[in-house]
Amino acid sequence: MKSVLLMMVTLLALCGCEKDKPVLHLYTWSDYIKPELVQQFEAEQGCRVVMDFFDSNEAMFAKLKAGATGYDLIFPSSYMVAIMQQQNMLQPLDHSRLPNLKHIDPVYLRFTEDEAMHHSVPYMVSNAGIGYLKSRVADFEPSWTMFGRADLAGRMTLLNDMRETLGAALKTLGYSLNTVNEQELTEARDLVIAWKRNIAKFETDQYKNGLVSAEFLLVHGYNGDIQQTMEENEDIGYALPREGGSIASDDMVIPQGAQQVELAHAFIDFIHRPEVAAQNIAYVYFLSPNLAAYALLPDEVRADPTIFVPQELLGKCEPIRDLGADNALYSKIWDQIKAAD
Amino acid sequence: MRRCAAFRLITALCLLFLYLPIVILVVNSFNASRFGSVWGGFSLHWYRALLANERVWQALVNTLLVALVATLVATVLGTLAAFALHRYHSRWQQLHYALVYAPLVVPDVLLGMSLLLLFVHLGVSLGLTTIMLAHTSFCISYVAMVVLARLQDFDFSIIEAAQDLGAGWWTILWRVFLPLLAPGILAGSLLAFTLSLDDFVISFFTAGPGSTTLPIQIYSMMRHGTPPVINALSTLLLVLTFAVVFAVQRLTKGKLQ
Repeated sequence: MKSVLLMMVTLLALCGCEKDKPVLHLYTWSDYIKPELVQQFEAEQGCRVVMDFFDSNEAMFAKLKAGATGYDLIFPSSYMVAIMQQQNMLQPLDHSRLPNLKHIDPVYLRFTEDEAMHHSVPYMVSNAGIGYLKSRVADFEPSWTMFGRADLAGRMTLLNDMRETLGAALKTLGYSLNTVNEQELTEARDLVIAWKRNIAKFETDQYKNGLVSAEFLLVHGYNGDIQQTMEENEDIGYALPREGGSIASDDMVIPQGAQQVELAHAFIDFIHRPEVAAQNIAYVYFLSPNLAAYALLPDEVRADPTIFVPQELLGKCEPIRDLGADNALYSKIWDQIKAAD
Repeated sequence: MRRCAAFRLITALCLLFLYLPIVILVVNSFNASRFGSVWGGFSLHWYRALLANERVWQALVNTLLVALVATLVATVLGTLAAFALHRYHSRWQQLHYALVYAPLVVPDVLLGMSLLLLFVHLGVSLGLTTIMLAHTSFCISYVAMVVLARLQDFDFSIIEAAQDLGAGWWTILWRVFLPLLAPGILAGSLLAFTLSLDDFVISFFTAGPGSTTLPIQIYSMMRHGTPPVINALSTLLLVLTFAVVFAVQRLTKGKLQ
């Protein structure tokens, strides 16, 4: 028992060292930044960076809303940034401390909820598209209509997510994926029901396993997930359909009550230094929307369709926006889809 | 004889159901592929990645620290509570029983959220200490219930016999009462340790900056991280647990002889 106590005291003492340095607390997703970059920032600023992690925007929001403090920089998704801003939980950003914001790719600002970067700066963007086995899918076309192909019946999955899957159908029909027009949604419903009869199932978690083991030949999924499967199986390809799709952004925000506002600004600026952003893209394999960084990337990354959305498709993509009360409309349509045989 | 075989089959199936997931986890920790659905060949890749992953180790240290402190405190307080509940029967003890019992049935989300609100209102800064306090509070209940069950079978005439033989209360406590109660206390504290080790919800709400525990780390890794690293870590913990159990068995055996 004594030795246990001794060990604990030693550990506590270890935790307590370096107390004199300022500490920047990040609240983020696990494995979402290149560790060497954090060390570089620590060395440059003479500070310590402590990272804590959350597993969903909603859980993070609930915790902060209840009054949890101590975090200086948070990385929520854009729709959650909008909610946090409505609740006055964020600090306005001081652009004079953020000279590197000039590098931010303006094209991608459209996919955030704060185009002027008043209180949030985009960190990484992701999209949802189609992953498929190149050797097993004949005549692949980058189109959502693949889900209607009879020769792939029973070997495909769509995301079990009402906004993503209805969004894919709405895009196929040429409508906005944030529409609240009931006629358009009814058309989309009928299209998804037709797809439903042709696919194996709606699947959000296990489609990666299914694609790697060739149980599924074609899946609706997120670019980051498909990228992971590609490392295992070179036969896997990824494409964003020509009709367009959803692009989502995770942003950096400074919450009210942050202790190290100056360091948090320095971190945002550091992340968007072009050479830092380029290293981060190559490591995390998501796109940090930093124009000057693109040129610094190796050619194979620059040409990777899982990271870069083709220029001509960007105009057809949209962010999934929070619809407030109109969400009920989507829920109703989604229930009808789930109930249909 | 036929019946015997049927029971054997049921036992085997139950054991399979309990241990097959663990076997799969251990096998997958050596799988070069990050997806459990295919075998990518034997590899120590995840163990190497684990060694290099400081965050996971820090989270493990946090988790063990919280579990140790919470178990120690909860074992003492829970045993005392069980004794009081067993020995005295009054209206206040009924209320006491209800209060000790409540954390077992209250959903974790409620417990976590209300503890967070309490800490915020008291102005306590969140961190390892608040997780320890939260874990202690629900661990007390588990220890108390297990020890209480043991007390209900306890023959108090043994205490009287000890008094007859001239033992003082200190001697009775250490030489008679606690040794007889020890299996219950040990079972309760092991249960508390395990529950503290894998608690996610309450930890998530009461954790502050710099106190990410292993479960929080693992859940967050699902989105961008490399969960197979956790297979490797779990396998190491499993080996450690078996080693400890084995050592304890050997040691106690030696004592008895």
